Amino acid sequence: MTAHQRIRIRHTKLGRTKYLSARDLTSVWERSLRRAALPIAYSEGFTPHAKVSFPDALPVGIASTGEYAELSFAAPIDPGPGLGRLSAALPEGLDITTYLVVPDNAPKLARMLGATLWELAWPLDDQPDDLPHRLEACVRAFLAADTVEVVKRRPSGDKVVDVRPPVVAAAVSTTAPRSWLRAATPTSAPPDGATLVLRTVLRNGGATVRPPDLQAALAAVAPDGVDPPPTTRHSCRVAQGHVVDAGIKEALTGAVEPLSTTITDADAA
Amino acid sequence: MNIVPAPPVPTPTGPLLPPPAARRAVRAGLGAPAPASVWDALEPHLTLVQKPAQYVGGEHNATAKDWAGAETRWLLSYPDTYEVGQPNQGIQILYELVNERDSALAERCYSPWMDLEEVMRREGIPAFTLEAHRPLWAFDVVGVTLPHELGHTNLLNLLDLGGVPVRAAERTADHPVVLVGGHAAYNPEPLAPFIDAAVMGDGEEVTLEVDDVVRAWKNVTDPTQPGARDALLHALAKVEGVYVPALYEERRSRDGRLQQVVPAESGLARRVPKRTLQDLEEWQYPRKQVVPLTEVVHERFSVEIFRGCTRGCRFCQAGMITRPVRERKPETIRRMVAEGIADTGFEEVGLLSLSSADHSGIAGLARDLADDHEGTATGLSLPSTRVDAFNVTLSNELARNGRRTGLTFAPEAGSERMRRVINKMVDEADMLRTAEVAFSNGWRHVKLYFMVGLPTETDEDVLAIAELGAKVGEIARSHGGRNKVTVSVGGFVPKPHTPFQWAPQDTPAEIHRKLQLVRDRLREERGVSLRTNAPEEGVIEGLLARSGREVAAVVEGAWRRGARMDGWHEVDTLALWHEAAAAAGIDIEAEIGRERGEDEALPWDHLDAGLEKQWLWEDWQDATSGAPLDDCRWSACYDCGVCPGLDTWHDTGYGWNDVSSGSDGRPSLPLVAIDGQGPLGGDDALPTTAERYASGATG
Repeated sequence: MTAHQRIRIRHTKLGRTKYLSARDLTSVWERSLRRAALPIAYSEGFTPHAKVSFPDALPVGIASTGEYAELSFAAPIDPGPGLGRLSAALPEGLDITTYLVVPDNAPKLARMLGATLWELAWPLDDQPDDLPHRLEACVRAFLAADTVEVVKRRPSGDKVVDVRPPVVAAAVSTTAPRSWLRAATPTSAPPDGATLVLRTVLRNGGATVRPPDLQAALAAVAPDGVDPPPTTRHSCRVAQGHVVDAGIKEALTGAVEPLSTTITDADAA
Repeated sequence: MNIVPAPPVPTPTGPLLPPPAARRAVRAGLGAPAPASVWDALEPHLTLVQKPAQYVGGEHNATAKDWAGAETRWLLSYPDTYEVGQPNQGIQILYELVNERDSALAERCYSPWMDLEEVMRREGIPAFTLEAHRPLWAFDVVGVTLPHELGHTNLLNLLDLGGVPVRAAERTADHPVVLVGGHAAYNPEPLAPFIDAAVMGDGEEVTLEVDDVVRAWKNVTDPTQPGARDALLHALAKVEGVYVPALYEERRSRDGRLQQVVPAESGLARRVPKRTLQDLEEWQYPRKQVVPLTEVVHERFSVEIFRGCTRGCRFCQAGMITRPVRERKPETIRRMVAEGIADTGFEEVGLLSLSSADHSGIAGLARDLADDHEGTATGLSLPSTRVDAFNVTLSNELARNGRRTGLTFAPEAGSERMRRVINKMVDEADMLRTAEVAFSNGWRHVKLYFMVGLPTETDEDVLAIAELGAKVGEIARSHGGRNKVTVSVGGFVPKPHTPFQWAPQDTPAEIHRKLQLVRDRLREERGVSLRTNAPEEGVIEGLLARSGREVAAVVEGAWRRGARMDGWHEVDTLALWHEAAAAAGIDIEAEIGRERGEDEALPWDHLDAGLEKQWLWEDWQDATSGAPLDDCRWSACYDCGVCPGLDTWHDTGYGWNDVSSGSDGRPSLPLVAIDGQGPLGGDDALPTTAERYASGATG
């Protein structure tokens, strides 16, 4: 087998493209690579597929600024301009933000993605004033617990998952509107005001825990007399990499993405 | 789509609409404020419905033009889900044509699946376009293609969801004009009360002419003035090929039988002609095909290599109404393919037409395209079901890059007698030789298409389907134990503007019985599988295909009872149709099962598809006596009526292959086959790549 040039990229999945399934994305990447006229390598066999691999599929409807993929090129490309062309050929909402050319013997991409920083957001426009306190109370109770089991509903049958172990840290803050909430959508609504944000770092590799599971867990541990926060559909996979004290060391650049100003964190648990 | 339960009875609650003055403002011409996007109302529900990506738009080559910068605004729709409708070539072409105009914009809209429809009705969200999520009611023209009859209820549903009264008579100048085209628009009578206009034939020129009319009307019209809408309908009726049902009325005898449909006033065409493009070379579309972001039924860049068909298969409506044949030049096709895949990134190219192996330059074209794309990931496909070895040779050439999996042939009928009746001129020896060639060339799966319920059919004819399938199965096995044959059998539905428009349609019970005969015979046949559709599906299609305005009440009644997505196996609406028909005093099975007489007025007699009714009748008589008819592309003209008046020789094409040209300088295809070659536009054995390299004839 001839050696291919392998390039790992980080990209966004925002706006309309949030609704594309993992299966849809395969074709989207292949066609965008062809439009950008890049010499992507193809698999052998009856139905050759462009060599684009994704370590972890994102559930439909969740935004991301921290998606990763590995592209194998049959002939070396000049990554800067080449990936620039590719990014332009991708649909609005899918943008390549970083790349790293890796040698043949590089460890698998999935091993560079040991942990994920997730963000859940509640625009505060129509929310009662006590929502931040209710969320904080639930997060504290969650971090104080040893196990928090929730039921994941799946077509293949319900499954009980302990949501607590993968959670390394969590922080609640009230911030300016999050850019990923509105990016690349044909919205005509006025911009959001203040937004309540939960940021949390989860270790990858164990049970798969997604934002809906986190929300179910927070509701499950709500202390007596505290209404759990309403379910939000706004969540984002911000970045992936390795856990460092202050947050996540991003996989490709090594830049540290901090957890945020601490209100509660893992140490409080 | 997943299996879903029968649809709920609709709560015909329309969308939330802005007040009339606000609606009028956004519907004005240049400078009008854009209507609010429905995105923000829609998005919270997207993760709760199946396949949400079909509702988001954002595809490569989708064009969201500035609302205020357009004088006329078109909403183009295929009344089915995105998955089914998105690849439609007609919508694609018109979308590009309209958007190329500075003064116009076009956006696309498809039927929401029933889960989203429920949300939309509950939340008051209107039917919307994918480009900018604008509401349907805001557009000037709602242009809908009707490739078959099973989208009729979806059309009504889309209008209702879009905030437009389903009955044309209730619309005002503040509502869009509802315009239908496509093959089912050749008999739009069952939709007469719901549509404003129907267009028959090629859409390219007439769409732009309609756009001119709408623009001119908007520029001088105050929509609040009485008669404003009426003036537009009259102006549209003046466009050649545009039929405005409200300006025509039925004459019926005392016992209720249709006598004729006539203009209700002077100055209108007594027979509305179809539109025919003379030269496809002038209309090289699509150039910028929309590339879906999610799964659809055909994911490929499509180039129409010719339009029309002259094989004369008597059951085939498409072949009759799209005459004459007009070819695109091979060099144009090659360029369109190269530019199209570079622009879209599609991995697959479809060379479309009604019988693509019949292009007079197909052998060279297939070879050149295979050369052009050899060693790339691009796959070429030629949808052709012609039963001959030449078709296999072509497929070999086009599959040079990939695997040889399945080939499809359409003998359509099992017995030679039956094939003479339908004028599908292939004998059994041809069929078996073709199968032999296919399997010996390494193809592993052959599909055979047949119909039952054809005129004059006997059980012997039906059993011949199974016999032929079994013989092909034997050939398959002789070339490898894992080779497969699929026998696919559908129930025949007679269509307007064909020689079989007078024929009785079999009842579902009779089709079931015939399918069982085939099933029983093939049960023990190893490697041969049978595929059938539910015969009930042809009932609604048959009713709508050949009925007149009396059936409009049934369409509306069925829709109000909850019928939609009639073309989906997953959705059983037949009982609703029977209820609606009973309420209108119509017995569906009696109506579709009735043989029409020579003197009977047909609901589409005032619509001119180019074919002389007398010629169709004679061909119907020839059919029942088993007399075949040649393809007029390669043999003498038999005066079907299409060509006179067109600026083309009776068989249209180009002089590029220099075999013959029209006597008066008009372009023509070869009238006779070249010596030593088959009569079907090519020889059975193309040189292989190696042979061509050896002979130096490359390039």
